This record gives sequence, structure tokens and C-alpha cells, in this order.
Amino acid sequence: MNDNVIIRTEGLCKHYKDGTIRALNGVTVDIKKGEVVVVIGPSGSGKSTFLRSLNLLETPTKGSIFFEGVDITNPKLDVNVYRRKMGMVFQHFNLFPHMTILRNLTIAPIKLLKKTQAEAEAKAHELLKLVGLEDRADAYPSQLSGGQKQRVAIVRSLCMEPDVMLFDEPTSALDPEMVGEVLDVMKNLAESGMTMAVVTHEMGFAREVASRVLFMDAGQIVEEGTPQDIFENPKNSRTKSFLSKVL
Amino acid sequence: MQVITFSSWLGTASTFILSLPEWLQRLIFQFNQTFIFENRWKFFANGLVITFIVTLGALLLGVIIGMIIAIIRSSHDSIQRKPPVFLRILNSICKIYLTVIRGTPMMVQLLIMGFVVMIPKSEFETVLCAIVTLGINSGAYVAEIARSGIMSINIGQTEAGRSLGFNYVQTMRYIIIPQAFKNVLPALGNEMITLLKDTSLVTVIALTDVTKAAQIVVSKTYTAIIPYISLAAIYLIIVMILTKLLSIFERRLRKSER
Repeated sequence: MNDNVIIRTEGLCKHYKDGTIRALNGVTVDIKKGEVVVVIGPSGSGKSTFLRSLNLLETPTKGSIFFEGVDITNPKLDVNVYRRKMGMVFQHFNLFPHMTILRNLTIAPIKLLKKTQAEAEAKAHELLKLVGLEDRADAYPSQLSGGQKQRVAIVRSLCMEPDVMLFDEPTSALDPEMVGEVLDVMKNLAESGMTMAVVTHEMGFAREVASRVLFMDAGQIVEEGTPQDIFENPKNSRTKSFLSKVL
Repeated sequence: MQVITFSSWLGTASTFILSLPEWLQRLIFQFNQTFIFENRWKFFANGLVITFIVTLGALLLGVIIGMIIAIIRSSHDSIQRKPPVFLRILNSICKIYLTVIRGTPMMVQLLIMGFVVMIPKSEFETVLCAIVTLGINSGAYVAEIARSGIMSINIGQTEAGRSLGFNYVQTMRYIIIPQAFKNVLPALGNEMITLLKDTSLVTVIALTDVTKAAQIVVSKTYTAIIPYISLAAIYLIIVMILTKLLSIFERRLRKSER
């Protein structure tokens, strides 16, 4: 296997109710180091299920997921160890409302990476500064706007120093004027060389930042290519009809 | 300057009492018979100590049992695919426990524990028997309260915790339970108050709690009104204090989110 491949899925399937519902139907993908893979597609196409399978928040019913060369679908492995290296950002932020922002950012590094409080807090402050929220460290999540919450959620994942970041529709729950600030953070992250897998409806972001775009429909990858290929010159009829509706 | 001696005070007091209407004089006499004569207040004081010990012990046991069952039940229900065999067995045991305990009266449970299962010989053993019985009983209710608390937390919180790499138990401990606890505090307080009042049932296994104390005093004075009204007042005052403490505690917990 190529050393540059961070995540490889092979024939990934997720079937419900004895196969009558097929959320994922044989997805085979390589995600290489430093790549920004953007997954687009109509709702119900399985793109979120695909992304959530990558860190086993959804258990695939068939197929394998190799993370840095290890098949993490092997039930004998401790999946928690591998999840630490895969940051995940959710549509609804899912910050911990009973903790301050600083605590949200430091609890996992302290408890899981066995960092000292001082180390974890230094890292948290440094990253908060990068997203322009250094003055909100002692606030609670309920005191933040949606865009601020999502930026904190991104920082929370980054505090674990992950090898790859997964974004599950990170801007879909935001008011329109807050979408930009979150996309800017993601853009900076991509430029810094972070490997990212992003499910999004922001076609502008896909076009500008993606190194590769996957178009999914009915649980399968229908078409993939560079943003130019997909947006300027789509080959598949389903890609064409989807893009004609959203662009 | 007049020197107030004890005998002169007694004289004034008795003259004062004799000047009151007759029904009030009778009440004062009965109050004296209930609490002061032969130091009978000590019955109430000792009974109250037993009531507190049983309440606190049962509460502790109930919360421990309740938490364990709630975690078993909700982890069983949250698994997407078919849960493993040991979890299914544990879940069934929990369900049977809940059905039996919630389906039989506490009085009957006390009778069975006191005269069939444990058969305590000393006062210490009787207190233990009461704590175990009430604890097991309360655990069934706490379990459902705790489960409703765990289920009240959005699944996204669990997912966020798990995606950071916390295992199930760590996610519960650091993320879910602190939030769930806040949500169920009113219901938990309610259970605590119920438990305190239900300790009055331990008289059936011959434990001298504050209710039994009142009964003993009635058997000595042959009048029920003052002992029983006082008994009611004692419970009422304790419950009111508890309610006040709980609301202060709750407000303090909520404050951390503002």
C-alpha cells in the first residue's frame, strides 16, 4: 500500500433492514496525505454515512477501512486509539455545554493524551488565537454565536493533533453571515497541509479548496475528479443534473 | 431592683398558665406529657437519628443501584446492532428487578426482608435490613430517573465524545452524566423526599424510628393528638428544609451555564 494513503476504504457497505435500505453500496476510496477531499451529492446519497463510517461512528455492514495501513473494522482493535488521530467536526457543533471553552478544548488531551493541564491549555490558547477567539476561553458554549461555536469545535479536534480531519456539513446549521468565518478557518487549515475529508453543500468551497471532489448518489461514488473536472466538465448525467440544480 | 429567682419565675409562669382558657391549658399539659415529662423528647430525638440513618443509607444504596441499572439499560438500548449476549442477559435481569420492585408495595417488601430473608436479631441488623430494603426499592425508581436523564442528552454529545477517542465509560463519566444529573435533579429530589417519608414504614420490622417513637409516646399518654400532630410537623419541617437546600443546589448548578 502506498505510504501516502492515510485512509483507504474497500467496498464499504451499510445496509439496513436486511439489505432493503442501502445507505452505502460499495464505496472504495483512497485519501492521501495532505489531500482535501470534498464529498458532494444530493441528500440521502450516503455522503454523511460515508464520512461517519471513516471513524466508525457508523458501523459498516461490509467492507474494510484502512487507517494508516491498519484495518480498523477489525473488532479486536481498540477503535478509540484510532479515533484520537481523526478529528471530527459536526453539523451541530456538539460542544459540551457544561464546560467552559477552555475545558472543552483541554479535557480530551488531558485525559487521553495524558498531557499536563499547562501543556493542554497552552496549546488551546495558541489554537484559539489562530481562529480569533482567544478572548472567549472562559466563556460557556451558550454564550457564543453559531460561527464561533463551530470554530471552537474545529479547535477542539485540532487540540488532539489529528492526522486527518473529517467535516460533516460544518456550515449547514449556520446563519448565512457566519458561514464565511468557518470556511476561512477550514481554508487556512487546508493550506497548512492538513488532510481533510469534507461533506458540504458549499460548492464555492469545493471549487476553491478541494484537491479532489467525489460526487455520491444512492450510496455509491458516481464520479470523482479535480474540481475543474467535476464542475466544468461533468461526465455522468446524475452529476450534471445535480450541479445544474445547485449552481 | 428585683432579683428574679427560679421559684418566683415558676410562680409567675403557673399563674400565667392558670389565667389561660381551659382548652389551651389542656394542650399545654399534653405537650408537657408528650415531650417534657420523663424526658420523652428523647424518644423523638433517638427516632429521628434512626430515620436519618436509614434515609441516607437507603439513598446512597439506591443511587448506586440506580446508576448501574440505568447505564446497563441505556447502553443496551443505544447499541445499533444486536447487543452482545452478556449485555442482553444483564438487561433482562434489570428488567425483572424493575418489574418486581415497582410492582409490589414497599410494606410487603419490608415484611419479606424482615421476616423471611434477613431476619435481623439486633438493632444494628434491623437498621441494616431497613437500609437494604429501602435502598433496593429506591434503586428501581432512581434507575428510571437516571435513564430518563441519560436519554435526555442529545446523541451528538455522545458522538462528539466518542469521536475524540473517549471510550463509552469515559464519555458517560465526563460528558453525559454531568449534564444528565442537572436535568434529573428535580426528580431525584422528589425521590429523596418520598424516601424520607417512606422510612416511616420501618416500624413494621420493629425499628424505632421517629414514627415508632410517636406511637410509643401515645401508648404512654393515652392521647394521640399532640404526638401525631408533632410527628407530622417534624416530617414537614425536614421536607421543607430539604426542598430549600435542593433549590439552592439546583440554582448553583444552573449558574455554571450562564
